Amino acid sequence: MASANRSLNRYFNINGWFFVAPAALLIGVFMVYPILYSLWMSFQTGKGMMTQFGGLANIKRLFDDPMFVLALYNTMIFFIVQVPVMLTLALFLASLLDNPNLKFRGLIRTAIFLPCVSSLVGYAVLFKSMFVQDGLINSTLVGLHITDQPIPWMTDPFWARVLIIIAITWRWTGYNMIFFLAALQNIDKSIYEASRIDGVPSWGRFFYLTVPMLKPVILFTTVTSTIGTLQLFDEVRNIMTSDAGSAAGPSNSALTLSVYIYNLTFKFVPSFGYAATVSYVIVLAVALLAIIQFYALREKD
Amino acid sequence: MNKTFKTSLAALVFSTSSVLAMAAAQAKEITIWCWDPNFNVAIMKAAGEIYSKTHPDIKINVVDFAKADVEAKLQTTLASGVTTSLPDIVLIEDYGAQKYIQSFPGAFASMNDVVDYSKFAPYKVKLATVDGKTYSMPFDSGVTGLYYRKDYLEQAGFKPEDMQNLTWDKYIEIGKKVSEKTGKKMMGLDPNDAGLIRIMMQSAGGWYFNDKGELNITGNEALKAALKTEGKLLSSGITKPASGWSNWVSTFTSGDVATVITGVWITGTIKATKDQENKWGVAPIPKLDVKGATDASNLGGSSWYVIASSPEKAEAIDFLNSVYAKNVDFYQKILVDQGAVGSLMEARKGAAYETADKFFGGEKIWQKFADWLSKVPSVNYGVFTNEVDSAVAAQLPALGKGGDVDAALKAIEAQAKSSMQ
Repeated sequence: MASANRSLNRYFNINGWFFVAPAALLIGVFMVYPILYSLWMSFQTGKGMMTQFGGLANIKRLFDDPMFVLALYNTMIFFIVQVPVMLTLALFLASLLDNPNLKFRGLIRTAIFLPCVSSLVGYAVLFKSMFVQDGLINSTLVGLHITDQPIPWMTDPFWARVLIIIAITWRWTGYNMIFFLAALQNIDKSIYEASRIDGVPSWGRFFYLTVPMLKPVILFTTVTSTIGTLQLFDEVRNIMTSDAGSAAGPSNSALTLSVYIYNLTFKFVPSFGYAATVSYVIVLAVALLAIIQFYALREKD
Repeated sequence: MNKTFKTSLAALVFSTSSVLAMAAAQAKEITIWCWDPNFNVAIMKAAGEIYSKTHPDIKINVVDFAKADVEAKLQTTLASGVTTSLPDIVLIEDYGAQKYIQSFPGAFASMNDVVDYSKFAPYKVKLATVDGKTYSMPFDSGVTGLYYRKDYLEQAGFKPEDMQNLTWDKYIEIGKKVSEKTGKKMMGLDPNDAGLIRIMMQSAGGWYFNDKGELNITGNEALKAALKTEGKLLSSGITKPASGWSNWVSTFTSGDVATVITGVWITGTIKATKDQENKWGVAPIPKLDVKGATDASNLGGSSWYVIASSPEKAEAIDFLNSVYAKNVDFYQKILVDQGAVGSLMEARKGAAYETADKFFGGEKIWQKFADWLSKVPSVNYGVFTNEVDSAVAAQLPALGKGGDVDAALKAIEAQAKSSMQ
């Protein structure tokens, strides 16, 4: 009884409310209100300020909008190809760097981690200048006779997607690797010792010990990478589009949902309602994918 | 509440009110947003200096930031409905004019009572007119020309006379000769950008929309011919692929291509490569093979707009009118200093337009551009140019690989229709 009273008391303690009030107010004004307002906006139709309530018109528009379908398709391609490639690479690098006998470990670790502290726009602009038709990458490839013709990184739809995937993999692999590395260092070394004594080969130790032990971290990195990839914007905006260019990559091959939202709001006749609807598609997609990932990687009894 | 807090609060209130009082007492200030420090910013500063001489009580404040930022800031501020943070005058690119005027009715001031619009190039006036009211002070023109490297063409056996009255087929033929003889490509072309399509289409009096502003794609002969020509250019092997603006500019500043087809505002950039002096010539752009085709067109260009809710609205309009609609000498100055071809028709009778340009081997290039300016076909840029442009750009790579033009037109129409809501 006394304990129930105490816990109720917490809700009526005015001092407590004073302490959380500033933070709660700021979160309310700058997070909760905009989220609810954008939900309201997603039911509005019209140009610029000339909006009216349109009911489900925007949701209907999603289904006959080839640009939206293309943006969703591109985003999913980036997600399905890039996230597994990056996480496998990160896991692989982390287990290599976990080897205490490796020389210059700290240096290599820093070098791989460093890209993710660089500015998104800065590295995107550099990538653009490196990958243009007669840029550093193409002249190197042709000079080493790896290819005869320069690779059309920015003018062919397939290679444009490859370039975006290379760019985000370069930027984020090190970031995910650090999580794996930290988790690896928490694994009890005696487990490995015991398995070695039992004669488990190194690949077996990796697949049957390391990977299962890292499961929570794999889940975490998968979810954060999924969110990041679904919101992909800076790279496409800076590598593939320019002021003069009007497509996001050749044939809009790199048009992502976030770039499309930007276009709907700032480049095209402003359609704030429809842009809000598309952004809720991202919210739903992230939520859905996160649930699937939690389910797939759940702890089985 | 302790004493220091009370004192500091009082100080804060006091200082805020004194700042407000100061602002009220100050002379009137006209704030202007524009984006190119070497071009429209410098020109507006020069205009401000001229106006300040006769109106010492008015201060002109030119704010310079990137074009995309000007547009994004203008668009979001107008949408928020809070106009206090807007400038008094803003520069808007012509393609976006109808979008802003129609999406934000009442946001811009019409200037018909003050400005005599009959003195300007007609296409510039029409693009900012809605229901008989004109909302812009027409500024620079993007009248197009064909800039060519005389030295490369001479090596391939062509004289300046051969560059006049071209058709696109003839242009491609010359391009093949040039690549064969000099190893240089004929032009830099960005297959993600529909700029050249717009140039060709407008040269034949066409646009994505008809006069009433309705979408006009599948039955549009000018657009069809433009797409066909772009496909031929891309597949002929005479173009150097470029990605993005700066990469495209480097195709000619580095001397890799023999010609440039674009708006007159590029002249400053071409002249900036001093080692290419005397090597460039200017000719009209090639003609399309359709009815009504001309050799004059437009790319880009922009105009000044006065924000209707501005407290300095009357002063802003008077400033624009007295400099941009009346001062012929001002247009001579900006032509010489910035290479800006204005759209005030009487300005081209001024002395600067008569001068021979040393960089272009003594050619009177400005007179040529002024003549072409009067011939630019007037079209309706409509509200949705950016949307359709993006649909067109998406089809260009396929056309370069020999894709079917009619299929491309259908795809463009489908995509444009869905985004025009």
